[in-house]
Amino acid sequence: MYGNGYIENDGKPVNSLTVNEDPIKLAAFEARIAAGDKIEPQDWMPAEYKKQLIRMMEQHAHSEIIGALPEGTWITRAPGFRRKLALMAKVQDEIGHGQLLYSAAETLGKSREQMTNDLINGKSKYSNVFNYPAKTWADSAVIAWLIDAGAIVNQLANSKGSYGPYCRALERICAEESFHLKYGHDNVVFLATGTPVQRAMVQDALNRWWEPIMHFFGPSDKESIHTETLMRWKVKMGSNDDMRNMFLDMYVPKIWDLGLTLPDPNLHKNEETGRWEYTEPNWEVFKQVINGNGPCNKERLAVRRKAEENGRWVRKALMKPEEKYVNPLA
Amino acid sequence: MKIVSLDPRVTRSNIDENTQEGVLHEKEHFQTYEVFEQKKRGTHHIHAGSVHAPSADLALVFAKEQYSRRGQCVNLWVVKTADIAATDYDDADIFETTSSKLYREPDAYKVMDRINAFKERQKSN
Amino acid sequence: MEFTDKHVQGLKDLLYKMADDLLILGHRNSEWTGLGPILEEDIAFSSMAQDKVGQSLAIYEILNQLGESDPDTVAFTRNANQFHCSKLVELPIGEYDFSLVRHFFYDHADAIRFEMLATTVVEPLQMVAKKFKGEIKYHTMHADVWMKQLAEGSDESKMRIQNAINETFALALGMFEPSDFEAELQEAGIFDGEFVLREKWLNKVVPLLESFGYSVPDATTTIPEFGGRKGQHTEYLQPLLDEMTEVFAIDPGADW
Ligand SMILES: [Fe+2]
Ligand SMILES: [Fe+2]
Repeated sequence: MYGNGYIENDGKPVNSLTVNEDPIKLAAFEARIAAGDKIEPQDWMPAEYKKQLIRMMEQHAHSEIIGALPEGTWITRAPGFRRKLALMAKVQDEIGHGQLLYSAAETLGKSREQMTNDLINGKSKYSNVFNYPAKTWADSAVIAWLIDAGAIVNQLANSKGSYGPYCRALERICAEESFHLKYGHDNVVFLATGTPVQRAMVQDALNRWWEPIMHFFGPSDKESIHTETLMRWKVKMGSNDDMRNMFLDMYVPKIWDLGLTLPDPNLHKNEETGRWEYTEPNWEVFKQVINGNGPCNKERLAVRRKAEENGRWVRKALMKPEEKYVNPLA
Repeated sequence: MKIVSLDPRVTRSNIDENTQEGVLHEKEHFQTYEVFEQKKRGTHHIHAGSVHAPSADLALVFAKEQYSRRGQCVNLWVVKTADIAATDYDDADIFETTSSKLYREPDAYKVMDRINAFKERQKSN
Repeated sequence: MEFTDKHVQGLKDLLYKMADDLLILGHRNSEWTGLGPILEEDIAFSSMAQDKVGQSLAIYEILNQLGESDPDTVAFTRNANQFHCSKLVELPIGEYDFSLVRHFFYDHADAIRFEMLATTVVEPLQMVAKKFKGEIKYHTMHADVWMKQLAEGSDESKMRIQNAINETFALALGMFEPSDFEAELQEAGIFDGEFVLREKWLNKVVPLLESFGYSVPDATTTIPEFGGRKGQHTEYLQPLLDEMTEVFAIDPGADW
C-alpha cells in the first residue's frame, strides 16, 4: 500500500536538477517516455529520475512491510475460519508486495539491506496511515477496504509509469489488491449490516480512520511544488488532489450506501465541477506523524528492528561472504 | 520500557521501545535468484521475478510461495542472477532491421497470381 | 463392516485430534506473519500456516457430517479441556529454532498420518488425505531444506537446532499418545493406530536428522509428554483460545 504523499523533493526545485545532464541523452530519454516506452534498469537515466524512483519504490515497499503490522494486530483474533484465512492471506500478500517492490528498487542499485536500515533508522519514510493503531477488529476491516482502495487508486496510476521493473511489480500487486478490496468490503458490509454492536464498531473505526485516509493521498496540490518534471518523466502519475478526488468519487457513495456516516459535515460532491469538496484535513498533524510523532511510529520501527534482530542468527548461518551480489536484473 | 501493544504478538515479544538493534550488514539478505515459472506442461518457462536466498534449494522453496501461490504452476527454475548474461539495451539496434527481412517470412512468398496467370496462358494456348 | 458406537467414537476422537492439532499449530505459526527472519521465508511460513488452518477446516467439516456442530462453533467455542491437540502444538512460537523444529517434527507426522489415511474406509477422510497430499509434501520439503541448511550453517545454528531437537523430542512423541479406541480403529479399517504411526515417524525423522549431522534423543528412554489428547494441556492453551475467540465474544450472536 502506498499513498501519493511525499515523493517530491528535499525542498529543491526538481527542474534545476537536470541542469548537469547531457542534453542529447536527456532528450532521447524524454522522447522514449513521451512515446510511451518503458525505461529499463540498464538504460541511461537522469540522476534525479533514478533518485526519485528509488525513493518512491522503497517508500512503497516500506509501506507494505509496516502496513502488515496494524492489520497483523488482528491476525490471532480474526473471528472464524473465513476471516482468519483471508486475513492471513492478505497480510501475506502485503509482505509479498514489499518483497517485489524492494526487488524493483534494487534494480537501481540500492540493496535491500540499505533500504531496511534507512527504514529502521527513520531516514526513509512510509505511508503515514500505518502509524495509527488498529484498535478493534473493525479497524482491520476499514483498513482492508479503504486504505487498500486508496492504495489501488495510486498503484493503478503508477503502473502506467515509465519505469519497467516498477510497472511489472505493480501489475502483479494490483491483481492481488483486488482480492484485498473485495475482502475488506465484505468485512465492512458484514459489520455494517450486522448487530448494533457491530455497526457501532465499524462506525467508530471509520470516524477514527477518516482523517488518516484523507491524509493518505498527500498534501493539497496548492502545497506540493515542482511536480511537472516528475509528471513528464512519468514518475508521478497524478496530482494528490486528483487521486483523492478519484477515491472519494468511487468510495464515499459506497460508504453512505451502508448507512454509515463520515466525520466531515462539508463533504459533498459539487455537481457542477464534478469535484468533491471537504474540510481540508489538518496538514500539521500529517507532518507531525510523518516526522515520527504519530501514535504508533515508535512501536512500528521497534517491531521491525526486533524482527530483523531475531532473524539474524538464521541469516548469519547461511551467509556466504565470498559470493558476489549483483542487482536483480528486471 | 517494554512495548505493550494492541497486538498480543508484539506484547509477547518483549520489545524495548527504544531498541537500536536490527541494523543489517551488507549481503545479510543474501544474493538473488531469478525465478522462471512454467504454468502448464508444454508451455515455456517465463520469468516471474527474483528472490533473495542463500542457496538454490531455498530459492526454489521461496519462489514457490512468492510467485506461484495463486493460479497454475507445474515447474519452477531458479538461476543465480549473477550467472545471467544479457544483451545491452544500448545495443537494441542490433534487432532493428529484423522485422524488415521479409525473405524470412511466409508472407513474402505469394505465388498464386503467377500460377493463375500461368493457367490462363495454358488455356489460351 | 457396520460401525458400532465405539467405532464412531474412535473416528471422532481421531478427527478431533487431527483437526485440533492443525488449527492450533496453524494459529501459532500465523503469528510469524510479518515478523519472520527474511521476507521470502515469512511468505512461505504464512502459506503453510494457512494450509494448516484450511486442513483443520476440512476435517471439522467431516465431523460436522458426523453430527458435531459446525466448524466455527467447534473451533471457536470450546475450552482447553475439550481440545484434543498435543502439547507440542500449543506452546508459544518461541524463537525460530523452536518453531522450525516443531514444524519439522509435526509435518513429518502429519504427512505419514495422511499417507496412512489415504486407504481408510472412511471415504470423506480418504478424500481429504488425498487432496492435501501435495500441500503437506511442500511442508516437509520446506522443513527438510531448512534443517539441512542450518546443520551446515554456523556452529550457532547447528547448536540452536540441536538444542531445540533435544527439548522438543518428548513433546513430539506426545503426538502419538494412544487413544481409547486404537483396536476399534484398526479392526474397522479406519486407521492403523498411533503406534504404527510413531514407528513410521521414527523411521523417517531419525535417519533424516542423523544424515544432516544432528543427534536424536533415544525414543525408548524418552518419556513422551502425553495428556493433550485427553484434554490435559499446558498453561498456554487456554490463553490462546481466549485470544482466538476474543472478537466472537464481543457479540456471540453476530455473524462476523
Ligand atoms: Fe499491498
Ligand atoms: Fe493490499
